[in-house]
Amino acid sequence: MTVFAAEINTEAVVVFAIVLSITLGITYWASKRARSAVGFYAAGRQITGFQNGLAISGDYLSAASFLGIAGLIYLYGFDGFLYSIGFLVAFLTVMFLLAERMRNAGKFTIADVLSFRLNEAPARTAAALGTLSVAAFYLIAQMVGAGVLIQALVGIDFALAVILTGLFMLCYVIFGGMVATTWVQIIKAVLLMAGIVVMSLFVLERVGFNPIELFNQAETKGEAEGSTFSLAPGTFLTSHIDTVSLGLALVLGTAGLPHILMRFFTVPNARAARGSVVWAMLLIGFFYLLTTCIGFGARAILGQGGVEAAGKGGNLAAPNLAEELGGGAGTFGGDVFLAVIAGVAFATILAVVAGLVLSASSAVAHDVWSSIIRKHRDSEKEEVWVAKIAALSIGAIAILVAVLGGEAMNVSFMVGLAFAIAASANFPALLLALTWRRFNTTGAVCGVLTGVISALGLIVISPIVWGGAPGAPDTGAFAWYDLNNPGIISIPLGFAGCILGTLLSRERKAERSFHEMFVRSETGLGAEKALSGH
Amino acid sequence: MPEPLDRTQTAIDWEAIERSPEFQELVHRRRSFVIPCTVFFLGWYLGFILLTAYAADFMGERVYEGLTVGYCLALTQFAMVLILGLWYLRKADKEFDPLAERAIQAYADHEHHPDVGRRFEREPASAPTQEVRR
Repeated sequence: MTVFAAEINTEAVVVFAIVLSITLGITYWASKRARSAVGFYAAGRQITGFQNGLAISGDYLSAASFLGIAGLIYLYGFDGFLYSIGFLVAFLTVMFLLAERMRNAGKFTIADVLSFRLNEAPARTAAALGTLSVAAFYLIAQMVGAGVLIQALVGIDFALAVILTGLFMLCYVIFGGMVATTWVQIIKAVLLMAGIVVMSLFVLERVGFNPIELFNQAETKGEAEGSTFSLAPGTFLTSHIDTVSLGLALVLGTAGLPHILMRFFTVPNARAARGSVVWAMLLIGFFYLLTTCIGFGARAILGQGGVEAAGKGGNLAAPNLAEELGGGAGTFGGDVFLAVIAGVAFATILAVVAGLVLSASSAVAHDVWSSIIRKHRDSEKEEVWVAKIAALSIGAIAILVAVLGGEAMNVSFMVGLAFAIAASANFPALLLALTWRRFNTTGAVCGVLTGVISALGLIVISPIVWGGAPGAPDTGAFAWYDLNNPGIISIPLGFAGCILGTLLSRERKAERSFHEMFVRSETGLGAEKALSGH
Repeated sequence: MPEPLDRTQTAIDWEAIERSPEFQELVHRRRSFVIPCTVFFLGWYLGFILLTAYAADFMGERVYEGLTVGYCLALTQFAMVLILGLWYLRKADKEFDPLAERAIQAYADHEHHPDVGRRFEREPASAPTQEVRR
């Protein structure tokens, strides 16, 4: 397979250059519209529902969704598809419980919603802690993933690949703010959807456009010796309780991801926020449906012989499949198709890391600096400057950690950790702040701390960190604990922290200001307005 | 920031709106849709996850050639997301939004602040007018 060749892949470089020149062009255009705070954090709240739906898809569908899930389905069959379903159903949680309320009650960050009715300094600190922990683990995972993929697909060194990804992402965020980030995400979503649709059509063409035939062929090839592929569950997720725990973290974690929730502040009103979730669900659902097509197609066409070339976790199964569909290694069609899919994967990574860095820098500048340190005495210009400096620092740290940690870092466990923290710390506090009259500052702080600490602590003692296989406790450090996904314990703990903290303390202000927040979040009266009328 | 969050609308009597029958109806109707839907989708999803975890053999049973029970149930999850998403969108546009507008309008028109409606008109950029005119 040419993907492992040491020399530079010229076609891929050309496609990468096209992706970069388009996105940098947009950043230049956007730079004039991202100077005010509302422009920088929320694109002036002028993004339409459909545009935001596309941008949410672009923000959400990481390389782990595209290459990772396709690879898992290729290697393990049904168990890989479980991720697709969890990631999709999660949007119902977002739609029913948070999207519109967030838009009506918030301004730029998750912390705005918490501090609306709680004591500002502790509530913002807690929310910023939740946001930054999720963003940090997710960001490092994405950067390491980017390095591994670009190294394999283009042939450049891991460290160079990480640094280049980081630099371009920083350009979008620092010069173009949310406007550029949104459009990078929209372009990426369009490219990704087009890429997966074309690939699926090629795959389906091989089986006479009969999906059942694809299942049959994948199953026949999956019977090869040494294959882990199965149409039944249990080949990848072998521990029962771990599967349930993972399922829980997936469906509730999305509703606590700061870079996704931040997108609801970019639309003019709650109605557009609602529309954007439904658009995102349609696009993301269609995408995840097709991950089966790619995974099964890779199994049916590449067979067991392609497992080694697909690399760790099967991440390169989709690019290798593209090469094969285009005509095979060494042919012009094969090279071009591989290069295009590699370019799509690159755009995918850029869009996701830009969204993450923007959400992290807004937590630092808007919550920590402007609200807690400067107590709203700073100018808007100063806040935007701090946000840019924060983005630069966060980006630099992420690049450094990814380069030092190297390709050996376990990406999937860090993504799992990000989802577990989001579901255990951010989601309970946000949901209760928006819906529970009695909820107060102590509850929010206790809940976020319990959620972050329990998710982090349980991951640290999990077998995956200590090199043991799930279900084989003797290889781990702690024989009595063999969960790799902490959600089933840490999510209830997060809620318990919120509830106990609230019940054991007394605070008048929180209940008084609930009236305003409640009316505002339900009706949109007094909600933050768009930059200019429509 | 020039002004902290939420301190711009202090003249509005939020508790009065909250007590109003229009607002109560909005909350009641929205809850009686959203809560059953949430219980249903979480139940259907977690049921699927539990079957995957504890009934691997059942999920691997064949419905037709290579198509298994597990995949059929997985497809129902996609259908559920589509149906609930579009249903909520329709319900919110037709029912909840007009109710929210009525609640604001009723307050602006007569309740406690007869001048609120005029106040909104003097400040055309403020959110309530946009909500009503949408």
